[in-house]
Amino acid sequence: MRKIITTAGKELLLLKRDRTGLLVLFLMPAILVIVITLVQENVMELTGQKNTRLLFLDLDEGGLGNSLRGRLSDNNFAIVVWDKRQKNSDALQAAVAAGDYQVGVVIPEKSSHKLQQRTEGMLEESKADDMKNAPGKIPVDVFFDPGIMPGLRSGLTAQLQMALETIAMEAKITVLERKVTEIVGQFGLARDAGPLPTAGLAALFGRQLFALQDGGDSARAGTTPPYNPVQQNVPAWALFGMFFTAIPIAGAILQERRSGIWIRLASLPVSHLLLFAGKVVAYMGVCLCQFLLIGLIGVFLFPYIGLPAFVVAGHPLAVLLTVLFSSLAACGFGIVLGMACKTYEQASTLGSTVVVASAAIGGIMVPVYAMPQTMQQISIISPLNWGLTAFQDLLVRGYGGAAIVDDLGRMTLFFLLCILFAWKLARTR
Amino acid sequence: MNARNPSLYKKESGIALEANSLVKRYNKSSRPALNDFDLQVNKGEFFGLLGTNGAGKTTAVSVFSGFFPPDSGTVSIMGMDFRRQAHKIRQIIGVVPQEIALYDKLSARENLSFFGRLYGFGGKLLEARIDLCLQFAGLTDQATRLVSAYSGGMKRRLNLATGLLHAPQILFLDEPTVGIDTQSRHLIHKQLTALNLAGITILYTTHYMEEAQELCSRIGIIDGGKIILQGKPNRLLQQSGSRNLEELFLDLTGKQLRDT
Ligand SMILES: Nc1ncnc2c1ncn2[C@@H]1O[C@H](COP(=O)(O)OP(=O)(O)OP(=O)(O)O)[C@@H](O)[C@H]1O
Ligand SMILES: [Mg+2]
Repeated sequence: MRKIITTAGKELLLLKRDRTGLLVLFLMPAILVIVITLVQENVMELTGQKNTRLLFLDLDEGGLGNSLRGRLSDNNFAIVVWDKRQKNSDALQAAVAAGDYQVGVVIPEKSSHKLQQRTEGMLEESKADDMKNAPGKIPVDVFFDPGIMPGLRSGLTAQLQMALETIAMEAKITVLERKVTEIVGQFGLARDAGPLPTAGLAALFGRQLFALQDGGDSARAGTTPPYNPVQQNVPAWALFGMFFTAIPIAGAILQERRSGIWIRLASLPVSHLLLFAGKVVAYMGVCLCQFLLIGLIGVFLFPYIGLPAFVVAGHPLAVLLTVLFSSLAACGFGIVLGMACKTYEQASTLGSTVVVASAAIGGIMVPVYAMPQTMQQISIISPLNWGLTAFQDLLVRGYGGAAIVDDLGRMTLFFLLCILFAWKLARTR
Repeated sequence: MNARNPSLYKKESGIALEANSLVKRYNKSSRPALNDFDLQVNKGEFFGLLGTNGAGKTTAVSVFSGFFPPDSGTVSIMGMDFRRQAHKIRQIIGVVPQEIALYDKLSARENLSFFGRLYGFGGKLLEARIDLCLQFAGLTDQATRLVSAYSGGMKRRLNLATGLLHAPQILFLDEPTVGIDTQSRHLIHKQLTALNLAGITILYTTHYMEEAQELCSRIGIIDGGKIILQGKPNRLLQQSGSRNLEELFLDLTGKQLRDT
């Protein structure tokens, strides 16, 4: 054990004196997580996974605009209202087209008046025998950010249509109510029976009877943090950085193998396994620091740059285990890389290719669910995917430690296979 | 280096290293680097292994120091076999590889401390051994400088001293004086002779003939992975009628390049 610590200490000392190596290990994932999260935050807006920014211009100012805004305010809209004395429809269209808002709504002049006319004339209309001659619909102008996804666009259209129809329904009921009261009054019943039960009908009709229950993204625990790119990206890019330690590990081994050090080490009364173990211990510490750094960036820096904060919910111990087992897998890969390659250039080219490819396959860059079917099936061969799945089970789905046992098992097996192979290579070379 | 009484050592007799019919190929197709290689080195001997580039010297030393096993044949060191007593053998052999076997980004003291701890030393004993090695290498004043800042000769001296850290009984030195100045070489020769007098068995590979003639009590000439001639230097010269080892060597191995 003392010899393992000696080896680990030497490894860390060497790393400490290798400025560029440290920079790559810590700066690279830190920059990646910030940049990628900022970029994806924008993507989330375009796909409607965030509050929709709605720009509102009421040229009518007759009451319809207020009702519509009232109807929309309880949905996920952040509404900005423009004053018609300062802005016009063209300006609104330009602002939406520029992507400052996802949707713009313009209530044209006299819309409220038209609504009233149409509802008042409703009963006469229905008496007329051909409905084809009914007057046209009342236009309300809607503009969409050209960048938004079609799904979000049709969703928003449906929401606006629904809100407008409800307002129309209320207006119709109000007219109907008044007519019924008038007719009943003509028969002289009202004085005896008190006020008619038609009062307040309009509000009643406007009320929704169904409620679509949002099951909270089917997550299990009640304390699930919200799904946002931060919860995906912080562990994902921390994992990416952790697997990149494979390259400095391979580099350290190759430095020994390509100098006389490897021969000297082989002549010492210590086995290769012990030397590997020292490296694993040292670099697991490095990986833990990487994860802490990325985690702290997520928790403390993100809120300052306008991103949601990273939330470690539920099971910190299970998260720690996932970090440790992921770094075990990364170290195993680094050791086998260092033993199988002949030069540092080979190891760094092969290593970074494999890590980037495994990251892509494993869902670090694009979430697995967004991949084509075949790629989704392939994704499970990537050790980065095992780590990411475990992190998502813990941090996004709110599962407990039991959910990650299979992933940790896979990573252990991967590590053992790597070490076994590296050991075989060490004994024959 | 060694505090024990040299005379006690000299009384020890027997075989320090015995290699029988060693064969080693790096690739299945290539010609063997060791080809039916036989060698006996007695305890207390200063044995010189002479050969051209590519003759198989490093390969032989690698097998002796347990870096890899031979494809066939046997090696025994102080009567022990690597296949069964590797750990014990490693406690008593000292290896000085042909390539510098030091961490560039560690100081001399840190290098020695690391290797010393892997031998199981610690505390005062470790410090004492490190100081002795630094003294041996003439680097006591430069002990805290990074090895990368050393000159070639300083690296060579430290490389050699590191192999002595655990006071081995048998030393394998693979061309320990390549590329260093006369002063450094002189110092190394003097100290190796002293170590040998103190009873340490030394196997020394080189292609410097004068060096072998000056230092070694016995030499073997290796060519094509095989020992083709061995004996005491003076005796060999007498038998062949050559003026010096260089001439003998050229007579034996020819004048064309051998490592192609
Ligand atoms: N790792 C290796 N892979 C393949 N062939 C090798 C390897 N190491 C040595 N050889 C070959 O084995 C033969 C013996 O090499 P070796 O290094 O033992 O020679 P040497 O006597 O030490 O030479 P030098 O004086 O140049 O150090 C050479 O033909 C060499 O090309
Ligand atoms: Mg050699």
